Amino acid sequence: MDFQSCVNIKKEWDIVGARQLGRDIARKIGFGTVDQARIATAISELARNIYLYAGTGKICFEAIEDMNHKGLRIVAMDDGPGIKELSQVMEDGFSTSGGLGAGLPGVKRLMDDFDIQSEDGKGTEIKAVKWLR
Amino acid sequence: MSTLKLDLENYKELMQQYIETQDEQALYQAEQFSKHSMQQNISPEEIINVHVQSLQHLYPDMPEHIRSSLDFLLETMISYGLAYQEYQSLRERQLELKSEISVAANMQKTLLATEKPEIEGLDVGAISIPAKQMNGDYYHFVKDDSGALGVAIADVVGKGVPAALCMSMIKYSMDSFPENRMDPGVILGSLNRVVERNVDSSMFITMFYGLYNINNHTFRFSSAGHEPGYYYDSKQDYFEEIDASGLVLGVSPEATYEQCTKEVHVGDMIIMLTDGVTECRQGDRFIEEDEVLEIIKQYAHLPAQETVEHVYKHFERLQDFQLRDDFTLIILKRKV
Amino acid sequence: MNLTIDVTNKEKITTVSLAGEVDAFTAPKLKETLLPLTKESGQTIEVDLQEVSYMDSTGLGVFISALKSTKEHDTALKLIQMQERVYRLFKITGLTEIMDIDNTVRGGM
Repeated sequence: MDFQSCVNIKKEWDIVGARQLGRDIARKIGFGTVDQARIATAISELARNIYLYAGTGKICFEAIEDMNHKGLRIVAMDDGPGIKELSQVMEDGFSTSGGLGAGLPGVKRLMDDFDIQSEDGKGTEIKAVKWLR
Repeated sequence: MSTLKLDLENYKELMQQYIETQDEQALYQAEQFSKHSMQQNISPEEIINVHVQSLQHLYPDMPEHIRSSLDFLLETMISYGLAYQEYQSLRERQLELKSEISVAANMQKTLLATEKPEIEGLDVGAISIPAKQMNGDYYHFVKDDSGALGVAIADVVGKGVPAALCMSMIKYSMDSFPENRMDPGVILGSLNRVVERNVDSSMFITMFYGLYNINNHTFRFSSAGHEPGYYYDSKQDYFEEIDASGLVLGVSPEATYEQCTKEVHVGDMIIMLTDGVTECRQGDRFIEEDEVLEIIKQYAHLPAQETVEHVYKHFERLQDFQLRDDFTLIILKRKV
Repeated sequence: MNLTIDVTNKEKITTVSLAGEVDAFTAPKLKETLLPLTKESGQTIEVDLQEVSYMDSTGLGVFISALKSTKEHDTALKLIQMQERVYRLFKITGLTEIMDIDNTVRGGM
């Protein structure tokens, strides 16, 4: 399997679209109910971040495979203002969205691998992978 | 994952037992199960998943709409699970901070340690207890060449770490003053300039500085906006406020400090304290100054160190063992 | 215990009326309100303390930084209607000597 699908995030409604597509792909890969729900929640957080702080961007999904297991990679990209204090947004209890446990630390917990790159004024790219066990 | 599978069997049996017998025993087991799950960092959505799977095993023809409703429940629990994990990690971090602060508090104790002097004819008692881990109160004894005893008692605005850092600065400035000439007014004047230059505009320190001359039993003192001290006249059984005018340290570089002198007679006491003593509260009521003095008098017949300790214990109990402010009390009693 | 802060403005005089306790918990809120006011050149800030029953040293700190700020920005700070217990604190710390405190209408305890 080697396909990539993307959803553009422009309005709040697009968050639902991204969740739906991500969940469908996760199900096809073979993720169970709990992991599907976690993946969908992670997508929500990523998409909401784009919608709230960058305005527009996109979220792409990719079924991946390494030597012994399959997985799903989510890539969230935007050309927004970027994140100046990465260590701060990755800190528990910092979340500007106000919710407990939400924000990027939440995404990191829901997924297995997590990577973030951001340049001031140029945008942000977040990659997160969930492996199938 | 194998332990979870094991627990799935366990959960299924317990649930079945409960459905059949409505037994309290099974509910108690459920409680154990949930505690055990938390120890294993199992999140609420996983418990629901176990529940759904157990149901399916027990009732293979469970209606589709029930199943969907449980999936819906599972979805709503995800954020609770995340919040719980965040709480765990914040709790760990809090423990870390706590232990760091306790290391700092110990360092502070070492840094600010002052030895209670042994002086013939003078009985000295001193106690200083912080409300939190770090103390914003401070006292310091120093003996000069002529045998005079210098006593400083100070209170930094605020409590906790910032106050403690500020105190260390004061201590090192005081250490750098020459030991042979310690006029209270001069010392406060120099400290004032140090503090004024080095701290934030909303920060200030109050200090009472006294010099007890052992040869002629006089007490010379100045105050930088500090809570007044007291002189206890044992013959007349009477407390007299001792105060000298002066602005708190750190507000204006030009501040000057009045210096007063008090003769000390045999059996009389000099009492120095911080507002943690005078502003004790019992519930919503403030303790009046007279009450503080009354308690001091009650224990005045004891050696000075025992007096200050008993007074502290009295007010600690009065405030339900929860100090609102750092508490410092020093007593000098002329014996002969 | 809470602190309510009420700001009214009349030409060159801004009145800040406080009610409650000024302590370590409420002082930051007071500082946030008071300090910006001291930076508006030409203004006189009157702080009405009639309803303030308690103030601790953190509260004093706020008034000290406000006073320092008035000197930098050519404004004036005046404390009015101070209660006896609070006045005692300003007196002990020597601040009555350097601050404009109108204690003619002091509310009793």
